Amino acid sequence: MNEIREQYETTQFIVVKYGDEQFGVDIKYVDNIVRMQRITRVPKVQTYIKGVINLRGEVIPVLSLRLKMGLEDDTITKATRIIIIKLESGECIGVLVDEVKEVVTLENAAIEKVAYDSKDPRANFIFGVGKEKDGLISLLDISGTFAEKEA
Amino acid sequence: MDVTQYLEIFLDETKEHLQSLSDQFMILEQEPDNMDTINEIFRSAHTLKGMAGTMGYKRLQALTHDMENVFSEVRNNTIKVDSAMVDLLFQVLDALEEYTENIQNTTEEGTNDNEHLIKALNDYLANGGSGAPAASTPAAAPETAPAAEVTASQSADPSKEKWRDIKLGDTENAVLGEAVKQGKKCYGVSVYVQESCILKAARAFLVFKALEEIGEIIVSVPSAQDIEDERFEFDFSMIIITEADAESVKKAVLDVSEIEAAYVGEVEVKVPEAKAEVQVAQVEETAKADNSAQGGVAKQDKKPAGKPIVNRTVRVDIEKLDSLMNLVSELIIAKNSLVSTSSQEGMLTDTTFNEQIEYLESVTTNLHESVMKVRMVPIESVVQKFPKMIRDLSKKLDKKMTLYMSGEETELDRTVVDEIGDPLMHLLRNSADHGLESSQVRKERGKPEMGSIFLDAYQEGNNVIIEVRDDGNGIDVEAVKAKAIARGAITAEQAENMSDKDIIGLLFLPSFSTAKQVTDVSGRGVGLDVVKSKIESLSGEVDVRTKLGEGSTFIIRLPLTLAIIQALMVEVGGEKYAISLGSIQTLEDIDPSEIEHVQAKEVINLRGTVIPLIRLNEVLDIESTKSPDENLLVIIVKKGDKLAGLVVDELMGQQEIVIKSLGKYINKSKIISGATILGDGEIALILDTNALL
Repeated sequence: MNEIREQYETTQFIVVKYGDEQFGVDIKYVDNIVRMQRITRVPKVQTYIKGVINLRGEVIPVLSLRLKMGLEDDTITKATRIIIIKLESGECIGVLVDEVKEVVTLENAAIEKVAYDSKDPRANFIFGVGKEKDGLISLLDISGTFAEKEA
Repeated sequence: MDVTQYLEIFLDETKEHLQSLSDQFMILEQEPDNMDTINEIFRSAHTLKGMAGTMGYKRLQALTHDMENVFSEVRNNTIKVDSAMVDLLFQVLDALEEYTENIQNTTEEGTNDNEHLIKALNDYLANGGSGAPAASTPAAAPETAPAAEVTASQSADPSKEKWRDIKLGDTENAVLGEAVKQGKKCYGVSVYVQESCILKAARAFLVFKALEEIGEIIVSVPSAQDIEDERFEFDFSMIIITEADAESVKKAVLDVSEIEAAYVGEVEVKVPEAKAEVQVAQVEETAKADNSAQGGVAKQDKKPAGKPIVNRTVRVDIEKLDSLMNLVSELIIAKNSLVSTSSQEGMLTDTTFNEQIEYLESVTTNLHESVMKVRMVPIESVVQKFPKMIRDLSKKLDKKMTLYMSGEETELDRTVVDEIGDPLMHLLRNSADHGLESSQVRKERGKPEMGSIFLDAYQEGNNVIIEVRDDGNGIDVEAVKAKAIARGAITAEQAENMSDKDIIGLLFLPSFSTAKQVTDVSGRGVGLDVVKSKIESLSGEVDVRTKLGEGSTFIIRLPLTLAIIQALMVEVGGEKYAISLGSIQTLEDIDPSEIEHVQAKEVINLRGTVIPLIRLNEVLDIESTKSPDENLLVIIVKKGDKLAGLVVDELMGQQEIVIKSLGKYINKSKIISGATILGDGEIALILDTNALL
């Protein structure tokens, strides 16, 4: 009975794009989406940290998921957005995305879990793939992707 | 009675008494015949016993009870204080502290009966107390006193009706007059609390509450605030307006437990047209008995004379202060923003606007200072446990030593005070264990057998300095060197080139302990590095001065404030950075031809001092906006006695900045200590010049 219910339970994802690829971020982690703004560089930190921004008086680090996943560096366009993600620790971080597309609602049944694959570094950032009319959405594993303090 | 609501008061007071006991025991050890001390200990033990009893902590009560018995005999000169007894007392104190800790953590006192301590105490009584049965006499004594009081007060004694002495102001008179017009009654009430009552304020509060249910309290003597702070002897009086009759008023008061007596009488209010005047009526046929009243009061006054006057304080949750602090920070940011817009746009002509901004500036600065002051607490709360610790260490290490402390009243931010205890403890233990020589060696060296450790705290500019000094052996640089080489921390060649200061710096490396023998006091190799990292996490620094054979001094330097600082804003490669004004010595304009090279490093010779140059653009991985042949802007910064010149591109001026954390997510480098938000919303990073030197 519970299993059946689980199948029909739904989760909302914000769909963002890196190039042509679509990624989904569980909406419960998203605090805000802001337009590109001036990022203050912080010297001598992790390469994928772009710097810090001022979000309503708070200093928030902004990172590039592209660099973290080993893709090309971000090209800032009019569509570029910073998604503010609230981690379970309560800390907020900003993530650069090429474009924010939409919000989708996926039934759990439509999510295919992917196995951990040590060969593909990108697979570590993703906990599943969602199937939707426009194609596949790689669903970001927030706690894995943004684990604190790693080199 | 449900006592949980008094748990906090109980814990506070218990801790106070335990601390006082600890202090007094220390004195007692030096002066076993000091009668004041003995009396003080007896009083504290008695109060503790009473409080523990009220709260239902039987074991705590039993142990303090026995301690009190012993001191009762000491007071009567039937037992002499000796060092074995002081040792025992300290053990008892440890046990009491354990109970208190348990109560604090679980509200239960725990199950340790500490029978051996009770037995040891009773042995003293049995041996020394000439025929004094352990339990009965001293315990009974304080209880008989109030009993006598009760009988005396049963008879209606007008001198007890202290409410008659209450002076009423015009407003109160008017209120009373109004009440009488409405047909209400005005009573004077004098309440006497039992002398054995421990939580007087709590009782008084209950009386107030009971009376407020049936009427309105117009005035009380002492004032409600004083009563709340427990600044009254055993009685208080008030005038109330009520519709109830005198009997029910009296009953309401007496329903509160531990109230010894209540005297209620009607206040006669005369209501002339303009000015209402109250004349206190004589309810029970008595003569005015001021004199006899005075006699009664005087008798009571004697006893609690030694009680210190408590400051008027309000307990505030530190979180509330934090949020207040944040608001002040926001205000300062907004003010900075106003300042920056006013200087940018054509508003310079408008003098009133500028005046207002300047006014706002001074208000925010003052506001910030007051909020900071609220957060400041004396370091006393942390250091007061050290004398006892040193005493314990002295026994454990079998070395004679005394701790001298000064500047306990020095204030620091609450958060810093909370954190500073452990590092200080480490340093003191270090001094006691490694610093001081054994008595034998000291004698041979012609030093007094008693080793001295000093803990001095004082304020210096925007810093608070805490020094831990001993007159022991000092740090043996050669021993440290040998150890470092043996451990592979440095090579023999490196050691050759290192200054003594650098070698001593090695002590602060993790896992470095020079104690030849590992004791359980210190010498486990965790210690100095922990001290250093803790102090640095508080934006402070540690320095050591030592002279072999004469002793060493550890100097801790802590900033007074953490959240808001005065900073110099600079530009490097087009980026803005803030440098704390506290570390800046001077600003210099240097011609490139003045740069010399020493060991391939750039230095300048500034008025006779050779100062190394640090090009910030290189440290920060960015291109300088200046061409190499232009004059250099150099900021001379200081850390301890080290100087360095920081080369920047532009100076932007001085500003009050609010320090914001970069968060845990960024693996920030040591040179960036935080960030701040500028008036235009832009972020500037704060450079930690200490990390650069």
